[in-house]
Amino acid sequence: MEKPYVTTLRRAFGLFCLIFSCFLQGAESITILTTTTDLADITRQITGELAEVSSLCDGREDPHALTVRPSYIVKARTAQVWIRIGMELELGWEPPILRDCRNRRIQVGMPAHIDVSEAILPLDVPQGKVTRDQGDIHAFGNPHYWLDPLNGRLAARYIAARLGKLYPEHDAVFKTNLTSFLNALDVRMFGEPLVNCVGGAKLWQWQLAGTLDNELGKLPGEVKLGGWYGTLRPYAGVPVATYHRSWIYLLQRFQLSLAGELEPKPGIPPSPKHLHQLSESFKVKGVRVILQEPFYSPKAAELLASRLDNLKVLVCANSTGGGAGAGSYLEMLDHVISALAEALKE
Amino acid sequence: MRQTHCLRLALCISFFALLSRLPAQNSSEADLRQQLQLLQQQIQEMRKEYTENMNRMQAEIQELKARSAAAPAAPVTAVAAGQDATRLLQPGPGDQPPAEEAQAEDLLERFIQQHAAPLLPAKMAESLSLDASVVIDAYYHRDDSREGISHLKEHISGFGHHHHGHGHQHGVIENGFNLRHIELGLSAAVDPYFTAWTTLAFEHHEGVEVEEAVIQTTNLPWNLTLSAGRFMSGIGRLNRQHSHNWDFIDTPLVYEKLFGGHGVTETGLQLTWLAPTPFYLLFGMEAANGENELISNSIGGDELPDHDGPRLWTAFMKVSPNLGPRHDLQLGLSWLNARNQEQHDEDHDDLPDLWLDGYSQVYGVDFVYKYNAQRAHGHGDFTLQAEYFHRKKSLQVENSLLANDLIGHHRLDWQDGYYLQAAYGILPRWRLGLRWEEVGLRNESSFPDGQDADFGTSNRATAMLDWKLSEFSLLRLQAGRSNYHTEEGRQKAWELGLQIQVTIGEHKAHDF
Repeated sequence: MEKPYVTTLRRAFGLFCLIFSCFLQGAESITILTTTTDLADITRQITGELAEVSSLCDGREDPHALTVRPSYIVKARTAQVWIRIGMELELGWEPPILRDCRNRRIQVGMPAHIDVSEAILPLDVPQGKVTRDQGDIHAFGNPHYWLDPLNGRLAARYIAARLGKLYPEHDAVFKTNLTSFLNALDVRMFGEPLVNCVGGAKLWQWQLAGTLDNELGKLPGEVKLGGWYGTLRPYAGVPVATYHRSWIYLLQRFQLSLAGELEPKPGIPPSPKHLHQLSESFKVKGVRVILQEPFYSPKAAELLASRLDNLKVLVCANSTGGGAGAGSYLEMLDHVISALAEALKE
Repeated sequence: MRQTHCLRLALCISFFALLSRLPAQNSSEADLRQQLQLLQQQIQEMRKEYTENMNRMQAEIQELKARSAAAPAAPVTAVAAGQDATRLLQPGPGDQPPAEEAQAEDLLERFIQQHAAPLLPAKMAESLSLDASVVIDAYYHRDDSREGISHLKEHISGFGHHHHGHGHQHGVIENGFNLRHIELGLSAAVDPYFTAWTTLAFEHHEGVEVEEAVIQTTNLPWNLTLSAGRFMSGIGRLNRQHSHNWDFIDTPLVYEKLFGGHGVTETGLQLTWLAPTPFYLLFGMEAANGENELISNSIGGDELPDHDGPRLWTAFMKVSPNLGPRHDLQLGLSWLNARNQEQHDEDHDDLPDLWLDGYSQVYGVDFVYKYNAQRAHGHGDFTLQAEYFHRKKSLQVENSLLANDLIGHHRLDWQDGYYLQAAYGILPRWRLGLRWEEVGLRNESSFPDGQDADFGTSNRATAMLDWKLSEFSLLRLQAGRSNYHTEEGRQKAWELGLQIQVTIGEHKAHDF
């Protein structure tokens, strides 16, 4: 026979263990460090409350040229997952952080080192020999891929899948969150009625295959194309100029045409000669908008705008947190696309 | 082109046919599994063929692109070709059962994978390759001193210049064109336990010097890192920076006069610990053999006792509070203690006649503030940086040919110096920098014969303007006014330098 106080003690101990383990479980949130704010926002949508997600870039700077600082080492030291854009975007600052952070988990090649570029559709992958004579060329392709909403979608899927492998206990939550993020993205891309009627994945497939217009014709009349795609559809083929070759993904997805970059070669500042050539060709093509990031000097673009009639400089953040109206990844795209449509309308 | 098109068509039809059979046969699970296996096989085969096709098509797309680029305002469509394949992938429009949504998602993913696979280059190269880079650094120098600026700097009073017979003079700056060493840097991960890098300096007329050859652990517990080999000591701030990372053409006088042209670069062991604090806090310790002419020299031989290594010990601490994305503050403290031996030529007959043995001790403090304007190419960025070092040498006369009675007497030296520099990004890629420096604020010696001496202070003011044409090339103009207290009296000089520096090979990431 056990004495009653022993039973009580046992129960109390059991309860204590239970409460303590609950407490541990509750406190155990996953620490995720991303290189850019867009990745951080997408990751946050997937993990919800399960993870503490922070980004090294804050969205306002040129992600090529971030300088390493001690606080990054401190962040990387405790990170359980590292998510990067890849394609050499972080080449100038990732290696010293990973070297000095004393964190095995997040080193290149480890399961917790997630390179999102592995899952996206790249552009500008150089063919043949690459030399620095061509400017800041990235041997693996143009790394600004997050400006294509489809790549945002692919990134989200990839991050959710990788996180699901790392934390199988949360896989179901990640999947649910992913579905609602994808749905939100699809709704913004094509409009709610169309997504509800056809389904996002199918719409993307039609869009990719170039059969979207054709298929839409077969749908009942009241289901209309909306969203970003609907907003920019009237401007398909319209030429747009950019400062850096960073907007190509956006232009290509919405079938706008790239009329040229103000930088003669990626990362090389505009020269007077190049600007002169551009102003001639812009005149011929009827370019109305120069799109550029806030961190580049607007002088060259303004010079061109002063020379040509009807040419507007549109300064837009191309990263989450990079400026007004770019609070999240979807809002950032929302802002760029509506501003672009507004500028092209007149 | 037509051939590949037909092939794709056939593939897609077979794929679609397979898919359409799926829902009809979902009566038994085993059947479904079989079907899935078959499907997987089919997909594998298809992907293989598709990859080949896509590669071929990619070339064609490039050709087409090149052709269409000539036409004005053509829409950008890199992945347009080959996309019509999906036309056959999807079932016809109409009512969509909910299960098909998940299927559509998978279908989309597969379709995209097929697109991406041939576009993505191999990822393996990144981690397996040996990263190599070469820095070439040349400059034009002009000064108005009579015997050359190197001679002046060497004869700054109090700090002493000791030739130990091997006639090795570093960094002699000549009027006219100068080539600094060619720096070859190699680095790679060794295995899951170590990473390693080496920096070789090829000096014109002098052969190769190993600046760094470090084997570093990557896997130690408790935030520890152990490095072995030849390394640039972690004391101070500039000490562990290679010359291509300096903000000015030359190193500050305090480094040159206290540690020599290469700073404290030693062979030994370094242990650092990154404290688990919410801000950056690093502690480090080093034990090295001590081969620095100015602070840790081992001569041995008949006149002096032999001391086994390690003869040089350091300890340092670095701290950096989190100040948000725009501000950055770093503070450091350093300490160094080393066995030191000297031989002097008091009667100037080119033969040593006085031998000393003892210790050197160095204290240092460093400070950096950085402002990040978050504009392109460093425009508006500001850096303020300062370092102070104090060196004490405490030596005892071991032997003297000129005065036997000096044996056992002490010679003590106290010297210090600091520099304060600022750099500001006046335009994208352009920086303006100013540096003010003084050495010998304390410049005292107590000689073995009981005499004391107090030498004067030397200073220099330098301005520089540099232009980073790209990440890989830099032009720099530098002008300085120096006021040296030398053994031959106070001497002033104007110094002018024009530097070009390029990096070829791997992109080098910069440390903080």
